[in-house]
This record gives sequence, structure tokens and C-alpha cells, in this order.
Amino acid sequence: MDMVWVKNMEPIIKVENLTYAYPTSKDFVLKNISFTVNKGEVLAVIGPNGAGKSTLLKALNGLVPHFYGGKYGGRVVVSGFEVLNTPISKMSTKVGFVFQDPEDQISGLALTVWEEVAFGLMMLGYPREEIDKRVREAIDYVGLTGLEKRSPFELSGGQMQRLAIATVLALRPEVIVMDEPTAQLDPLGKYEVLSVIEKLAESGSTIVLAEHEIEEVVYFADKMLLLDKGEAVAYGDTRKVVTMVEELKRRGVDPPSVTELTSLLKEKTGVDVALPVTLEEAVKIYSELLR
Amino acid sequence: MSVGVSLLKKTTIEAETFVQRLDGRVKFLYFLWATIIVYIFFDPLLNLIFLAVTMALAVYAKCWKPIALTILIIVVPWILFAVPILALPLGFPWNKTIIGYINILGKDYPVYLEGLGWGVTWPLRIAVAISTALLFFLTTNQAKLVATMFKMKFPFKLIYMVIATFQFIPLLASEANTIMQAQIARGLRTDVGFVQKIKNYLAVVIPLTLSALNKVQIRAIALESRGFSAPVKKTLLYEASFTKLDYAFLMTMLLVTVFLAWVYVYIGFSPLAHLPWIWSG
Amino acid sequence: MSQEIREVSPTGKAIIAVVLIPTIAALNYVGGVIVEALKAPIWGDTWATILGTFIGGFWVGAAGGFLYNIIMALTVWGLPSWVWGFANVAIAAIAWFMMKMGWTDLKKPMTWIMMIVLYGLVYPAFTTAISIGIFGGGPLWKPLAAAVYTATLSSTGNFFLANYVQNAFTEIIDKPISFIISVIIAQRIPKRFVLAK
Repeated sequence: MDMVWVKNMEPIIKVENLTYAYPTSKDFVLKNISFTVNKGEVLAVIGPNGAGKSTLLKALNGLVPHFYGGKYGGRVVVSGFEVLNTPISKMSTKVGFVFQDPEDQISGLALTVWEEVAFGLMMLGYPREEIDKRVREAIDYVGLTGLEKRSPFELSGGQMQRLAIATVLALRPEVIVMDEPTAQLDPLGKYEVLSVIEKLAESGSTIVLAEHEIEEVVYFADKMLLLDKGEAVAYGDTRKVVTMVEELKRRGVDPPSVTELTSLLKEKTGVDVALPVTLEEAVKIYSELLR
Repeated sequence: MSVGVSLLKKTTIEAETFVQRLDGRVKFLYFLWATIIVYIFFDPLLNLIFLAVTMALAVYAKCWKPIALTILIIVVPWILFAVPILALPLGFPWNKTIIGYINILGKDYPVYLEGLGWGVTWPLRIAVAISTALLFFLTTNQAKLVATMFKMKFPFKLIYMVIATFQFIPLLASEANTIMQAQIARGLRTDVGFVQKIKNYLAVVIPLTLSALNKVQIRAIALESRGFSAPVKKTLLYEASFTKLDYAFLMTMLLVTVFLAWVYVYIGFSPLAHLPWIWSG
Repeated sequence: MSQEIREVSPTGKAIIAVVLIPTIAALNYVGGVIVEALKAPIWGDTWATILGTFIGGFWVGAAGGFLYNIIMALTVWGLPSWVWGFANVAIAAIAWFMMKMGWTDLKKPMTWIMMIVLYGLVYPAFTTAISIGIFGGGPLWKPLAAAVYTATLSSTGNFFLANYVQNAFTEIIDKPISFIISVIIAQRIPKRFVLAK
């Protein structure tokens, strides 16, 4: 029992005073950001457009700073590797990155869904038998069984995004990073992808995701980081951050409707009640109140 | 060019004939071999023989229609333009031998052998090249194509670029179509003057380019994030190996080469049509 | 809190080039399709080579153009036409040269002069060599060009000249227009997309 406790408390991601500017940007895009993520935790990064969410995520797998260059300060350590001193290809074995655009992140080399899922493994030179095994697992996990022989570009948005997740899962990374994975999907696609993310969260994967759909994210995010203009404005348990209704609204982020509603009602009526973060909680609280 | 887009859509004709089963390298070699031979010889009848053999293979492999179409569009008009212009006394400098006369609007004009030969042989050379190349392309599915390149020791990044081009073309084409429809809905018309046509072109091409460049950025970081630059030997999922069929085909080509070499030495560079020598014939 | 800020050099350019080159090839291809759909009187299938040179430098433009010709050779024109890939390389070279000399400002008369001279007169000499050496140097299968060929051939009796004039006639309109198109597009591209200096 002690061993389990130790394992859970190990920060698998450590970000200390991360400061970064792209070569073409005048200002620093990230300023002095610090946080940790423990193994098995889900961290949601929220904030208005231009806050630096994407940049922060890219700092976890080495795209920042290696791909873009620029000015870099502070330390980011993921799975024991310091990002500044590790090439992106090495980081890709530890950190899987899912991008926002379902179609644009498809490699272009793979002719079938099967090959696309195998893409990362092919690039890293894994042996054939290992590839076959892992691709099978990944495809089944995300629910794309039966579509193996299709061209990856023939899929729907939700399917393509699940394909991207499968490609990442095949590499068995220790951390999964997702940059607004449902932003470009229709409602059905959003539902498909969020289901897979929830499944991953429940099975103990370590996930960092930037997401606008705050209402969905509260169900499985353990911690939240609120970013604005490159600075970490709030950081802590999901409940703590998402109930800071004033702060969120001031920064241009919409809290969950039930939370905002309750907060406004609290102000108006003066009733002291806990702020719900999900629909279910709201129903419980209000049915008590209205009794 | 829409012939081109539709050809791309139908890239491979899947059928279970021996042509499809031949290794990609063999078919590629066939194309090179046939083309080189028809360039060494200067004989339209020889070219026709090669063309006929290739078309026979194509018919058997059920892919003759695109090839016939391409030849019809490119080679036939070419011959129809070239022969009159070169064979009639319009200035082709090597015209010497008159083989007949043709009556146009009441006057007799000489028809020259040199011009006629030139006007027929060159387009047919191209026809051989086109047909053998298309035969290779239409009967080798993309996976085999990649395997072929891999076995020929192409660098991985080059293989990526070739395959990626094939995948990007339909993507960009459909986006171009969307943009065109949007512009038409905004009042773009094609029955306009020269300058406006150029402006129309820009109205489609500029958004297309910006979108394409954006995709380049995203795709590049996605590739990197999946280990694209890892300095290891990539595992490619495609295999290519020779079978008895391939060896039989290669042997046939070898025998024909030997035969043709004998023909060249003892009969000449124009064995069937007996065309005279022109400086670069 | 003072902290050490390092300058890191980017590694992304090589990968961007690997993705950019097939994109250039694909844009050339689709450009040709658009030309047909809009019935524009130009070839329109080498503009991306020029644009690629402006964005990524000579090698990117040349490779993209060459790759385009290989794909066309494989799918439509037949493989001997891969040699036109070298023509595309020449297009990229001319574009790069004009970029280096600053002749990309459409308001400068020098730009127009060099554009017509290099693309309309120098470039056709290059294509004439290819036409004659690989394709026999006969008339093209387009009526207007073939008419020019015939006229030159019958009035001068010079085979090479007939080819050259036919090619110059075809290119003198198409290439400069492609150049202009590429310059206009290049002006609209945000700086961060440009790799070339």
C-alpha cells in the first residue's frame, strides 16, 4: 500500500519558471510558469485565445524550444528527461501529442488507417511483430476496429481525431498531451473523442489538455491551470479553479453554466450554498434547496 | 489537366493478372528499356510494334482505357500537326526524297519522306514511353510503389515526398473546388476577359496557398512529434521480392535486346521503315 | 527573479522543407486544374515552383518543381517528360536570381524587363534544347503555337529557330504571368511562413 502511495505522488511533469519567446515574437509568450503533474493525473489548461496554451503544451514534448528556436528560460522535466537537453524524437517516446486539426496532423505517408497508427512506430524503427501487436491494441481501444484498410483521409472528423489518438497510444507514451482536440469537430465527433479521453483518464493515463469545453472537462480533470497573457493566473484542484467565477470571466473564460448561474444567484439572493461544477451536482444542490 | 486528376483518382486498377503481380522494379525497367530502344532506333514501325505489345499487356491487365485516352489526347493530334507541317514543303531543312504528291485546292504539292518519317516517329517514341510508364503506374498499387522505391534504396525522406505529393493533390484539389464554388457564389464568372480571368485565378489560388502553407506548418510539427527525425532505420511495412514470373519477364527482355542488337548491327537503325539518316535520327 | 535565458537554434526548417516540397508539387498540379476550370489562357502549372523559391529558397522551389514533373510524368505525360523537371529547375533558378537581385517589386520597371527577358527569351532557349533533344523538335499540338512554328520554319528554313520561336511564343506570356502571380501571393504570406532569406 505504501508503494502505491509513492507511485501516485511522483511528479511525472515538473515545470519550473518556464519563460519562452518565439524568434518572431516581440514579447515573451510564456512568463515564469510553474506547475507539476503527478502520474495518473489529468491537468486541464484553460485560458482565452492567445494566452499561450498551445505554446505551453508544445514545451512538454520539445517542439518548444527545439523546433521553433527562440529564447528559453526555466526548466521542464518530463519522465526524467529535461526537455531543453533532449531531442524531439526522443521526447516522442515519452510524450504523445494530439493536435487540434484532425486532417492536418495525418502524416501523409500512410495509405491506410492501419499504417497511420503504425506511423510513429515505423519512424522509431520498431520491429514488425511489435508494430502489429500495438497497432491492433490501439485501433481497438479508440473504437476504429473495422476501418483498418480505409484511407485515413476518408474518415470523419471524430474518426480522424481518434486515429490521431491511436497513433499516439501505439507509442505507449507516459504522458499524453492534447491541444484542443475537439475544437474542430461537430457534436458527434466531440462526443466520440471526449469518450476516448475519459476512458484514458479513468484507466490512469497522465494527460495534459488544453480545452475550451470546460463543461465536459470538469468530469475528468484533476487539476486546472488558468493561463492569461503567458502567465499562470490560477492553478490547483479543478473545483478550486473552476469556481473562481469572477476571475474566469475577467480573463475571458466561460465557467460551466451551472457554476455561473449558482454564483449569480448567490450574489442576488445571499443564500450560502456550495458552487456545483457539473449538472449532476447542481441537480443535487438545488433539489435540496427547493425542498 | 482534368484527365490528370481523374487518372490520379483511378491510380491503380486492381485485377489479378500477371501484370499486376510483376514486381514494380521489373515494370519500371520495362518502361526504361522500351523507351531507350525506340530512341536508339529510328523506325516508326518498330515503335508501333512496341506500342502494340504494351497495349496488349494493358488490355490483359484491364487498364488499357486510360492509356488509350492519353495517347489519343497527346500523340494523335501531335502526329496530325507534325506530319503536314514537316512533310510538305514548308521549310523542314532535311526534306530531300519525294515519295508522292498530294493535291490541295487544285495544286500538287510534294510529300517528303524525311519530314513524314520525323513527324511520325517522334510522337510514336513518346507514345511508347507514355504507354509503358502508365502500364507500370496503373498496375502497381501504391504500397508496391513504396516497396519498389525502398528496395531501390531511395532515401526515406524522398519516398515520403513522393507519396505525400500523391496524397496532397486530391486534398488540395478538393479545397480548390470549395474555394471556387464559394467565389462563384460571390459572383465570379468565367466568361470574362483576359485580365479578369487572371484575377479569378488569383482569387482561388491565394486562399488555397495560404491554407496549404498553414497545413505545412501543422503537419511538420506533427511529423516531428511522432519521431520523424529519429536517427534510426525506419521500419517500412512494405515488402518487394522477385518471383519466377519476374525472372521470366526479365529473361524475355534480355533475349529481345540481344536480337535487336543483332538487327541494329546487320540491318541498320531503321530496319522496317528504312528511313534515311537525319542528323539526330 | 532573474533567470538565465538561452537562445536556442531551431531544427524545424529541414522538416518544413520536407513537407513544403510535396506541397509545392501538389500546388503546381492543382494550379493546372484550376486553370482549366477557370478557362484561363495560361499553363498555370509552374507558379508554385516560383512561389516555393520565394518561400523556401532555390532548393525547395527546384525540388518541388522537379517532383511535380515526375508526378506528371508518372500519371499523365509519360515518363520521358520527367526531363521537363530540369526546365522547372531553371524556372526556380531564374526566380531565385530575380529575388536576389531585388527584381520582385512589381513597381520597378526593371522587374518587368528582366522578367520578360529571362523567362520569355532565355528560358525558351533552355526548353528548345530539351524539345529537340528528347522530343524531336516538331511542332506542338496546340494550333496557335504550331502556326508560329510553321511560319518560322517556312520563312527561314531554320529548324532550331522554328522551335525556339514556338517556345518563346508560348512561354513569353505564361511564365511572366506565373511570376507575377507568385509575387502577389508571396506578398500576402505572413512572415513566419518564409524560410528563405
